[in-house]
Amino acid sequence: MSDANGAALDTQMAKYMEAHPDIKIERTYIPFADLKQKLLQGAAAGQLPDVVLIDNPDHSSFAALGILADLTDVVKAWGQESNYFAGPWASTVFQGRNFGIPDNSNCLVNWYNKTFTEAAGVQPPTNWEELKETAATLTQGERYGFAVSAVKSEEGTFQWLPFLWMTGEDLATLDSEGGRAALQLWVDLVNDGYMSRGILNWTQGDVKGQFVNGLAAMMVNGPWQIPVIKEEAPDLSWDVATLPAQKQGASILGGENTAIIKGSAHIEAAWRLLTWRQEPENLKAYLLQAGKLPSNAAMAQDVAWTGDPVLNVFIEQLKVAKPRNYGPNYPEISNAIQEMLQAAISGQKTVDAAVAEAQAKITPLLPA
Amino acid sequence: MLFIVLTMIYPIFANLRMSVYDVNVGTFLSDTAPFVGLGNYIKVLRDSAFQKAFLLSLIFTVGSLVFQFTIGFALALLFNRSFPGNQILRALMLLGWMLPTVVSGSVFRWMFDGGNGIINYALQSLGLMSSPRFWLIEPQTALLATIIANIWVGVPFNMILLLPGLQSIPRSLYEAASIDGASSRQSFRYITLPLMRPVALSVLLLGIIYTFKVFDLIYVMTRGGPVDATTVLPIYVYQLSFNFFRFGEGAAAAILLLAPLSLAAIGYLWFSRREDVMA
Repeated sequence: MSDANGAALDTQMAKYMEAHPDIKIERTYIPFADLKQKLLQGAAAGQLPDVVLIDNPDHSSFAALGILADLTDVVKAWGQESNYFAGPWASTVFQGRNFGIPDNSNCLVNWYNKTFTEAAGVQPPTNWEELKETAATLTQGERYGFAVSAVKSEEGTFQWLPFLWMTGEDLATLDSEGGRAALQLWVDLVNDGYMSRGILNWTQGDVKGQFVNGLAAMMVNGPWQIPVIKEEAPDLSWDVATLPAQKQGASILGGENTAIIKGSAHIEAAWRLLTWRQEPENLKAYLLQAGKLPSNAAMAQDVAWTGDPVLNVFIEQLKVAKPRNYGPNYPEISNAIQEMLQAAISGQKTVDAAVAEAQAKITPLLPA
Repeated sequence: MLFIVLTMIYPIFANLRMSVYDVNVGTFLSDTAPFVGLGNYIKVLRDSAFQKAFLLSLIFTVGSLVFQFTIGFALALLFNRSFPGNQILRALMLLGWMLPTVVSGSVFRWMFDGGNGIINYALQSLGLMSSPRFWLIEPQTALLATIIANIWVGVPFNMILLLPGLQSIPRSLYEAASIDGASSRQSFRYITLPLMRPVALSVLLLGIIYTFKVFDLIYVMTRGGPVDATTVLPIYVYQLSFNFFRFGEGAAAAILLLAPLSLAAIGYLWFSRREDVMA
């Protein structure tokens, strides 16, 4: 969580407590990597907060664990479903029941260094053919044309899935022409020298570092890097474009949802807080301060986002961003994808073998 | 005593209990996990990922210890002599051991980086390597790189434990030997080595315990990758429980990890007690 994020939450909570003197909110920040573990420990010890803000791909795992309260009745009565993007909304639903509501979103886009693209006279690529050509043109000396993260963690899966979806395939049909092509694309970019082999060990933060230092001309990254890059490299000339499409455009949906802990003594008060946070004026102030994108479709049309050339690209990309809605076994599924990426890109396995193996592991893990 | 019960006996007992139940995502909270006896153990032992992790742990431990111990011993011999700056250098040496592993792990991660790592730069400048190598990305070298990092971390530990052993060998023995015309090599072979044996064995047993359970250093450097090339046992256990939520199997694997360590610990206790009796 960046400083901007924490500050935005504090501002919002203070405002709420001022208007509701009977409510006292204590906010605890847990680093992203520890959140799952901490929530599990808290659940085992019966010591959990009333309200949690969690990463949306983990939502169904936590619902399956029985940590979250079933909010189906109040959510139905609230009647706001149609105002939200389908992807974020779907991530709060487990086995047909509502276990929370969406809070904010993010997605991946293609970032490019304008100094390099203008010098080479190229435009950001709109399909895979152009991606290979542009990456080739922009590769020069120590600088690589393109950069992604293929690290052995959720970040690697997060970055690769959009490329799979662009081919029209999904994890159930990973072992297909499209699935193999999506993996082959990354393998080729590395083998042709347009992308560093270092991607296997780079987090998205490291990818941003390569981009800022001029060692990568284009990169795949999310909106949370906007305030970071503006601060780290105020003179860098950059812009963003939607990810290059293949059969269709695609990106991945990241973001957070709010949920209430099962057995909380303050379920009603907690629900009032969650819905208050979603009221347009409260939500807008918070999202803008934190540098996050709305999950609320109506709010995404607000000029605060559409009027900003950079943020507007993210809003456009959000329309084709899909959630990782693969049920409670998702962490293990993601691990299979990470191993597939690493095996194929490092050359330990052929693309065909890596994809077939991943499919064999993933199929039994997908929700029936 | 209460402290030991609360912080050590209870967790181990709870872990043992969990290892014989099928605790997973669905049954973690409801306490309805079915009793499966040794089912989790059988599943884990048959898992090829476990077998590979066990083998990697063995390689990691043996590889680390051989060099940590040899280099540590050589440095202890050096610091056993008096020379100007001895104290300061010895204190500096300890720095590597005191540094949080997350810090040393990150530093090594960047030193071994394929694009701008200093190790590639050094090897290429010396003409020992023609093209850059992505150490942490190639399965053949990733484990080697983590072992090298761990050796660096462990050398001061070995040195600092071996040094008092050397210092406790009476000078008079060496003086007597030299009067009898023994070369320095003979002194080392017939005085230093035999007298250092008990200390050395203790250090090695402690080393096994510390090295077999190394998690943070490897996790920071490679996260167990590429693919599973550095997924040693502790990382495997972590993945089962906290990534895959297969708590029952994770607990069983943790017990299997604990078993060889307990053997080493018992060996250490038995050995140090025997030494006490002899002394």
